[in-house]
Amino acid sequence: MDIKSGYFKKHLCVDLTTGQCERRRLSDEFIDRYVGGRGFGAKLVWDNLVQHEFQIDPLGPENLLAIAPGPLTGAYLPSSGKCSFVAISPATGVYGDSSLGGTFGVELRQTGVDMVSIIGKAPALSVLLIDDDETRILPTPELAGKTCLEAEGLIKERFGTHEVKVAVIGPAGENRVRFAGVNADWSRNAGRTGMGAVLGSKNLKAIVIRGSKDLPVADLPGLLAESEKAYAYMRSHKYFKMWQREGLMMVMEYASAAGILPTYNFKDATFAKVKQINGETMLDNYKIGDSACFACAMSCGNICLVKQGKYVGTVTEGPEYESCAMLGSNLGVDNYAAVLRANQLCDELGIDSISTGSLVGAVIEGYEKGVLSLEDLDGRPIAWGDDDAILELIHKIVRREGIGNTLAEGARGVVRRWPEMDKLIVHVKGLEQSAYDSRAASSMALAYATSDIGAHHTRAWTIAKEIEQGKNWTDEEKVDLVIYHQSLRPLFDMLGVCRLPWIELGLNEQHYARFYQHVTGKKATLEDLLEKSKAIYDLTRLINTRLGLGRKDDSLPYKVHACPIRSGATAGKVIDKQVFERLLDLYYRKRGWDANGLPPAEVEKSFSVP
Amino acid sequence: MAKKLAVVPELCSGCRMCELICSIEHFGVNNPKKSAVRVLVTYPHPVMRLPIVCSQCKVPVCADACPVGALKRTDGVVRLDRDNCISCMKCVEACPFGAIYAHGDLDHPIKCDLCDGRPQCVEKCPKGAIRLVPEQSLGESKRMNNILSYAHMKEIEFTEKGESRIIRYAEIGKEEL
Repeated sequence: MDIKSGYFKKHLCVDLTTGQCERRRLSDEFIDRYVGGRGFGAKLVWDNLVQHEFQIDPLGPENLLAIAPGPLTGAYLPSSGKCSFVAISPATGVYGDSSLGGTFGVELRQTGVDMVSIIGKAPALSVLLIDDDETRILPTPELAGKTCLEAEGLIKERFGTHEVKVAVIGPAGENRVRFAGVNADWSRNAGRTGMGAVLGSKNLKAIVIRGSKDLPVADLPGLLAESEKAYAYMRSHKYFKMWQREGLMMVMEYASAAGILPTYNFKDATFAKVKQINGETMLDNYKIGDSACFACAMSCGNICLVKQGKYVGTVTEGPEYESCAMLGSNLGVDNYAAVLRANQLCDELGIDSISTGSLVGAVIEGYEKGVLSLEDLDGRPIAWGDDDAILELIHKIVRREGIGNTLAEGARGVVRRWPEMDKLIVHVKGLEQSAYDSRAASSMALAYATSDIGAHHTRAWTIAKEIEQGKNWTDEEKVDLVIYHQSLRPLFDMLGVCRLPWIELGLNEQHYARFYQHVTGKKATLEDLLEKSKAIYDLTRLINTRLGLGRKDDSLPYKVHACPIRSGATAGKVIDKQVFERLLDLYYRKRGWDANGLPPAEVEKSFSVP
Repeated sequence: MAKKLAVVPELCSGCRMCELICSIEHFGVNNPKKSAVRVLVTYPHPVMRLPIVCSQCKVPVCADACPVGALKRTDGVVRLDRDNCISCMKCVEACPFGAIYAHGDLDHPIKCDLCDGRPQCVEKCPKGAIRLVPEQSLGESKRMNNILSYAHMKEIEFTEKGESRIIRYAEIGKEEL
């Protein structure tokens, strides 16, 4: 089990309470088994849970946050800029992770560590500075309340260089909004599961990094040759240029036509005015620049500027599909400039655009249906497409004012105060669902229900496959596809690379096993890596079940069973409860979990070794 | 004919493949910090992504600053003679563009040599943002952008043989003439 290369075999442990920063060795066994990224993070979170006898407040100093790129992060291969943030999530109370692109993870590795773990709480608002071998915790009271962009600018000014990489939280993270995200490279976000609130609870405003070390690669010429093949394949793809031009905004039209686009808080799945907020509109009137993560040829990021009208001067990177759907069609907003403004606000204040769009949508519907009174809304009415009220509400969430204080507690908090809202908020395990309606695809519903972090598509995204070819799919095929995706997609997060070249341009997943071999010098097939990823899924499951979750929590939002889609290609669709339970039974069986979704005792034993 | 690197900042996505391939090509390591090109990003005011490349100046300030004459321009490329270099890094500080780089692991400054005529940053850029052009073509993209900005000034719709068409033209007001 000798790992020749690909890792520094170092782990930077930071205790903000004591101020101690220490580099510890990572054993070959650990590296081989957990690979990196979310794999490393999940193991650290598990060990920390065991140490605290499963009593952890996600916003307490005892919650451990792991920041982990993977062995492929920063290497010469397609889109290798990913870095995972892993902790117990303040949004769900169970395992949470979120990853961001850009260059932050690459810079982190260049300081000579494979991972940073942070526990404790700094006595005052601080930043963590990692300057190659030197690590310091510096108090920065002047950054209190600053937006992500302001803070990044001030930090670069203070350290007198633009050549540092900064991951920062906004006022939302400082105010412990349970779906606050982390922002790096100005506008790359680890948005989901509230990792920004974890940093905020630790009084850590930012992590500032400057690294210069060579990234270990066992066989650089071999990697180069393999990557050239992969890049050449991508460049020759018929949609490659389209990707560079529109990025994920391309999906808007498709999702609306296919009947999977969240519209009016998931009442509809087709937006009549989608043309006003689609990729073409963005290209014609708003896009001023391209943005890519490290070593990515696809450059899916779009930098947009509003050149006229009431939002003139708004500059933002994005939105990509998820944000555009959740802040656009899901709220009935048909003015792309308003979507850009909302997206900019989410970036600057540091909150997750998906959760924000979902909760605001539920509030609008709640008010429409009389579940929420005008008094509940602090006297300020809100309606579909009312951009002024929507932007105001986003500010209130971040400032925790009035109804915003409840919304800042996330889906769970809202339901605690207004139980009726549970029928309107589309969430699983307390995490608001991302922007693919699952009512037309039972495999996607199963994927959301069984995702370890809650209703996010990053664990398995089977919807396109099922919708395109799903007519005669057997239960078994659906479950197999979900489990395969739940192994493959998290594998990207373990390796520290982006999945878009694979999922969007069809880059063969076998490439990644060869990338891994060239980088680490260790023989491994894709199947070997998928096995490791599957074991991590068992581990995150174990974390969740030991924290009290079970079959009852692998359930679908009320709407998915009870409210048929109103119009469009998928009109009338809901997920039948019996069908779903049948799929879930089969899923547990195939995973080797019991009927309540608990993994067998030997799984826990296998993770007890340090 | 000597060719030069030209940059089209509007096209740059900031992916840094130029930095990475440069380090692999020249030092055999995977390290974007050991490269003779660096992508600078400013955001949001102004939004800029600009790869800083060597201009192979005809009057090289770097060479003037070199106390031992280790930098010389031959065949259109300002080359570093490593045997004579004393690692003072004065050239790094002297370059008006900051286009020569230093790294703690290395004894010499990192100076672009145009990869013997086949610059890898140009070959690997997925956006065509770095180009190798003959000297008379420098500034080409700026000229074209300027023309296009005029073409977007005014539009008129008209009907020709029953078909609706649009003509674009630049209107120059009297006060500007």
